[in-house]
Amino acid sequence: MFDLFHNLGLGFGVVFQISWWSPWWLYGLSLPISINILMCLIGALVGTLVGVLPGIGTVATVAMLLPITFGLPPVGALIMLAGIYYGAQYGGSTTSILVNIPGEATSVVTAIDGHAMAKQGRAGPALAIAAIGSFFAGCVATVLIAVLGAPLTKLALAFGPAEYFSLMVLGLIFAVVLAKGSVLKAIAMIVFGLLLSMVGSDIETGASRMAFNIPELADGLGFATVAMGVFGFAEIIRNLDAGAEMNRDLVQQKITGLMPTRKDLIDSAPAILRGTVLGSILGILPGGGAVIASFASYTLEKKIAKDPSRFGRGAIEGVAAPESANNAAAQTSFIPLLTLGIPPNAVMALMVGAMTIHGIVPGPQVMQKQPELVWGMIASMWIGNLMLIIINLPLVGIWVRLLRVPYRLMFPSIVIFCAIGIYSVNNAPVDVVLAGVFGLVGYWLIKHDFEPAPLLLGMVLGPLMEENLRRALLISRGDWTVFLTRPLSAVLLAIAAFLLVLTVLPFLRTKRDEVFTESES
Amino acid sequence: MADTMGHSAAATTRNTSVVIAFCLLAVAPQIFEFIWSIGTIFGWGVGRGPATVVIGHATALVAGAPGALLGALSGDTKKTSSDVLLALIYSYPLFAVAILTIFMTIRSAQDYVGGIVLMALALFALWASSDLQGMRGFSFGAGTAPRMFGGLLVALGAGIALTGLLTDGPAMAHYAWRGPLFVMISIVFFALAIRPLGVVVTAFASFLISAMGTHETRWVEAIIVGACLTLGCALLFPYVLGLPMPMFPRFLVQ
Repeated sequence: MFDLFHNLGLGFGVVFQISWWSPWWLYGLSLPISINILMCLIGALVGTLVGVLPGIGTVATVAMLLPITFGLPPVGALIMLAGIYYGAQYGGSTTSILVNIPGEATSVVTAIDGHAMAKQGRAGPALAIAAIGSFFAGCVATVLIAVLGAPLTKLALAFGPAEYFSLMVLGLIFAVVLAKGSVLKAIAMIVFGLLLSMVGSDIETGASRMAFNIPELADGLGFATVAMGVFGFAEIIRNLDAGAEMNRDLVQQKITGLMPTRKDLIDSAPAILRGTVLGSILGILPGGGAVIASFASYTLEKKIAKDPSRFGRGAIEGVAAPESANNAAAQTSFIPLLTLGIPPNAVMALMVGAMTIHGIVPGPQVMQKQPELVWGMIASMWIGNLMLIIINLPLVGIWVRLLRVPYRLMFPSIVIFCAIGIYSVNNAPVDVVLAGVFGLVGYWLIKHDFEPAPLLLGMVLGPLMEENLRRALLISRGDWTVFLTRPLSAVLLAIAAFLLVLTVLPFLRTKRDEVFTESES
Repeated sequence: MADTMGHSAAATTRNTSVVIAFCLLAVAPQIFEFIWSIGTIFGWGVGRGPATVVIGHATALVAGAPGALLGALSGDTKKTSSDVLLALIYSYPLFAVAILTIFMTIRSAQDYVGGIVLMALALFALWASSDLQGMRGFSFGAGTAPRMFGGLLVALGAGIALTGLLTDGPAMAHYAWRGPLFVMISIVFFALAIRPLGVVVTAFASFLISAMGTHETRWVEAIIVGACLTLGCALLFPYVLGLPMPMFPRFLVQ
């Protein structure tokens, strides 16, 4: 317990670190500023902005803004990226409630009851409850990360290559089970990602693999390049053929009275609690993370409600639960990344990319060797959540005005911003073209109903998996049974197999589809 | 009933185009290398000339691969050339799939085509990693993992294609051409122009090119926003973020 406070204290110390800033136009005067607080604020604001704008998802934004963080110190960069991630969860709810366009996949279900509330003139309380729920969930999740961080790290240090490989298999299977749509297609996407990760020189022998003597491919496909192509450019192209002018039935009346009534608070308190618990659990599991959490918690609320028919007509629980759940999940998904070094979803995969760019190899040793990085990031999450609740509610008017920016102006801006961003990663024009090609690939994948997120996950885990597989087999002298004879590894693989069997069973398949079809009914 | 009749009629007309598409896919790497090789006439890039490419692939497809197959059967372990391997590993299986497709009733074109294309990608990866070293004793060679996952993806692609044959599902989605085309032109232009022309010119021009991607663009508005965005990016990236990149056209600076 003492450790926990000590660690959190260290984290807050890092966040509040003051440095003296003396710009030339102050003629020698110095201003005390905290870079990390500033990064946290910028991240949270940019995240909200992105969450509000429909058409660019969280993954695309984090990919787009990766180059921006290159010049920053590692702690500041990660704090900012984390801020973008949970900021987007907040922003997404705003548009769901006011415009009925979910800015993010995570707030699709919020739109059902949130928009119904807005139509009844109760947009203010809906927004407030969403913010309060998110803040509460964020606080709980922050503490949870702090509590679970140290023991999980200890566990991870006992892991050998065989355990790591099995853990990654389990993680990928989770990603498949929790993903939307066909299991077969999701597995295929993961394997496609694994193959893509093998382009470039081999880690151990240095042999050039599948690079066709093209010097630009010798180092492998850039992770940010593929992410930007598959999530950024592909989204833009897809939105273009859906018709740039989206149907936006904006709630026109002025938002009056943000404060929820006493009854609202009493109704939503248990829903927030349940959403937080469910979201925290689902967030730790690799795979859907925040998306599945919001869907699942909405379904749960509907199941246990005394009068389920209220849902869809402005039930406040239908806003409170999914919003708390997605925020909790967004934050707890940092746990596997920080303790085990395994990204549980596509955004975390990008965080791995960011960390490697800054020369940090994610894994259990990070928490021991660079505690200020990890705990600084954890502390910043709590502060970020506080900032969001203070900033966002008064700023709702501005965010709504942003929605009036037509897509015909937005998409060329995103294209240019992405292009400059990719170029600046390596100063390589080829990367820009490659991202464009992956944009077309992503467009094709969307058209054939393949999910791009497992592809990205496969691509990040590819090198790690291959390395551990090779090492495990080398240690066991080519004996494949090592994965089953080592107890921890066997347990992990057994869970993976069990999960895979479960999803194929017809009963659970319908259950799984039910969770996702909620928004369409 | 009338509905299902109409569906099957549509499916048969679709089939021929799918078969043709698969045949094209089966020789796509060869065609791509041919187009690439045209550049060598003008001295761009390195590689074989167009004539050698055509002759090499044609002989590999028509004669080389069957010969190698026969040779392998009779226990002859002569090293086969990469053209022949491409024909053997990539083109022939896809031709076989294309021929099989003629006799199939496709119930979900989306899944069937998706699965086959993934299979093609995996076969291509298998060919690309065919020159790499495999297992040495119990230690992995450079080629082991790509071959393992390539094989797995072939199986998965086939599985997805099979679900497209066995279960009803959506037909091929509609592809738009305008958005992808102009966005791609804009991206390629950006890549070509950023070094010689600098951020200011390139970003503005790319903005206008990609704005052509929708017919809703109003030009006055687009030019104003494009100019503002260009200015913003020109300040943000090199100055605020300190990422070095050329600002103005090279010939103006010198």
